[in-house]
Amino acid sequence: MLFNTVAHKFNQGSIPKKGCNFFRGSFFVTFLEKQKSKIKVLPIFLSFQLLLATSIAQNIKSGALEIHFIHTANGKEISLRDSTYTNPFGETYTVSKLRFYIGQLSVPGSGYKFGEDDYYLVNAANEMPIEISLKPGSYNGLQFLLGVDSLHNCSGAQTGALDPMNDMFWTWNSGYVIYKLEGSSPASTADLNHIEHHVGGYKGENNVATPIKLTTTQPFRILENKTTVIVIENNLDHYWKGQNDIKISDGALIMTPGPLSKKIAANFSNLFTIKSISLNP
Amino acid sequence: LKIIFSICLVLLCLAGSLLISAVKDDGYGPFKPTPLPFSIPQGFPKPTSDIFAKNKRTEEGFQLGKKLFYDGRLSKDGEISCATCHQPFASFVTYDHDLSHGVNNSFSTRNAPALVNLAWMPALHWDGGINHIEVQPLSPITAHNEMGEKIDSVLAKLRKDTTYKRMFKAAFGDPAINSQRMLKAIAQFTGSLVSANSKYDRVKRGQATFTAYEERGYLTFKDKCASCHTEPLFTDNSFRNNGLALNRFHDIGRQQITQLRSDSLKFKVPTLRNVQVTFPYMHDGHIFSLHKVLDHYMNNIITSQPTLDPLLKNRIALTLREKNELVYFLYTLTDSSFLKDPRYAPGMFTPTDRVRKTHVEPEERHEGM
Repeated sequence: MLFNTVAHKFNQGSIPKKGCNFFRGSFFVTFLEKQKSKIKVLPIFLSFQLLLATSIAQNIKSGALEIHFIHTANGKEISLRDSTYTNPFGETYTVSKLRFYIGQLSVPGSGYKFGEDDYYLVNAANEMPIEISLKPGSYNGLQFLLGVDSLHNCSGAQTGALDPMNDMFWTWNSGYVIYKLEGSSPASTADLNHIEHHVGGYKGENNVATPIKLTTTQPFRILENKTTVIVIENNLDHYWKGQNDIKISDGALIMTPGPLSKKIAANFSNLFTIKSISLNP
Repeated sequence: LKIIFSICLVLLCLAGSLLISAVKDDGYGPFKPTPLPFSIPQGFPKPTSDIFAKNKRTEEGFQLGKKLFYDGRLSKDGEISCATCHQPFASFVTYDHDLSHGVNNSFSTRNAPALVNLAWMPALHWDGGINHIEVQPLSPITAHNEMGEKIDSVLAKLRKDTTYKRMFKAAFGDPAINSQRMLKAIAQFTGSLVSANSKYDRVKRGQATFTAYEERGYLTFKDKCASCHTEPLFTDNSFRNNGLALNRFHDIGRQQITQLRSDSLKFKVPTLRNVQVTFPYMHDGHIFSLHKVLDHYMNNIITSQPTLDPLLKNRIALTLREKNELVYFLYTLTDSSFLKDPRYAPGMFTPTDRVRKTHVEPEERHEGM
């Protein structure tokens, strides 16, 4: 169950990092064996490498950006399971699970971009900030994909944040749930008044992955060796009411790609706002 | 001084490299997977997508996948393996069963499909809900009426087994066991199940001849069946409503996946390879013989269904003689070398070097034929 609660940037386990491979693989050892006869060449080679490495390290000057997500309803931060909120239609509800995928994160103007295999699972039960390093400068926003691109939905077994063990994969209808909201509400006609909204879909017109573009009113700065903290608000009030009205009484159980998922996803573009930006001392 | 310094440095490096190799040696030996190239049988089309492109087939991966396929620990009660419902001697269906059995004496709602030539299938399951061979096992493993288990519990069980640690290391380079590796290994096994050596195939290759009955059955087949059961895979992988009544599970088939009314009661056209041993037939296994299947197409198609396949709106006219000849032809699709292939059969794990000698000599390989 550990994996269900981790919102963290995972490495793609199956693809070893190149440098790592070189060091651990037999190539290095074989190289040393081959060079035994020309042993005097080695120190020169090694010191050259050392020099190269230090010069690269010296050239990298960067600051850090920490991206936090907070989840709110009725102007309050959501507390899972034990607090009741009211949606714009007067329906009260509690939240037990709230998770969604983030991919293709970029900070315009910085040259920073997620790798195409990089995904985060944001999980209200276990917040872990996304930490990236950026070159110092002044920026005015960030972009990401809410969801999982179609390629990663249909390319077989994935790992890291996309590991099917994270309980965000439809096993009987292959594809990722990109936004999961579970809880309960007296307005729900489902068993035990459950709300289970599993929003997803990647094929053609059922594709619900939504590009999100957030801009700040004033530019924010990234300073060398300092951490800038940006807080993004996921406001459930906008989940229920936006382009479409999502009433719990109309459908408390949504578990397939298609019209119902699309109806909710139409509200995604207004779900997020930048709540605050601050510089960590 | 320079010389002393460089000697010191070299010694340090050598010590370091020894340390690295010591760390590397985890007791499971070096990582030297044996490539197992996948070849396309003569007369078969190129697969629409290469399932082994990012999951290179190796002897070690295949053997690991086979062990997982036959391992009951993938289920909640330790009793149900993939092979419980996909039996090798029955072209990987559940022999003589309409519905498959799951944990706690449960039944599934569909007939287990044959695992044959999956590398040529763009979507799996009767409703096409599975989009890639690697993610298919997630469905039966987690379904409450199949294997009823959680993936993390399966992995926890596998991690306790040193044989698995050794085999994961042999297949993937280190003993780490995760869902992606498990699924890729199973896909190496299931994707390798190629049946292309039936009498039909030998006739096509000029190595055998049909009897007169079979020959006439083949002509009828080409005339009246082949538009859906397209050669040489004997399916066009499409989803069609063949005029069966809505069953007691209210199984609407493809509509459940696409949410489209126009897909109501559509199911995947199954392959007819080894159809002699894959009875009972249809998505819920309610027809127990080939003759009865042909009776359905001749007399029992419900023609009032709005989504009925247009090719079946007049049913299929067959004389009694044509019907018998057709069945004789369908029997020529039985590939006994596939059904008895020791590479696919259960058994104790054989060390890969021995397997290589006994099972993967090119002339013994199915795919090479």
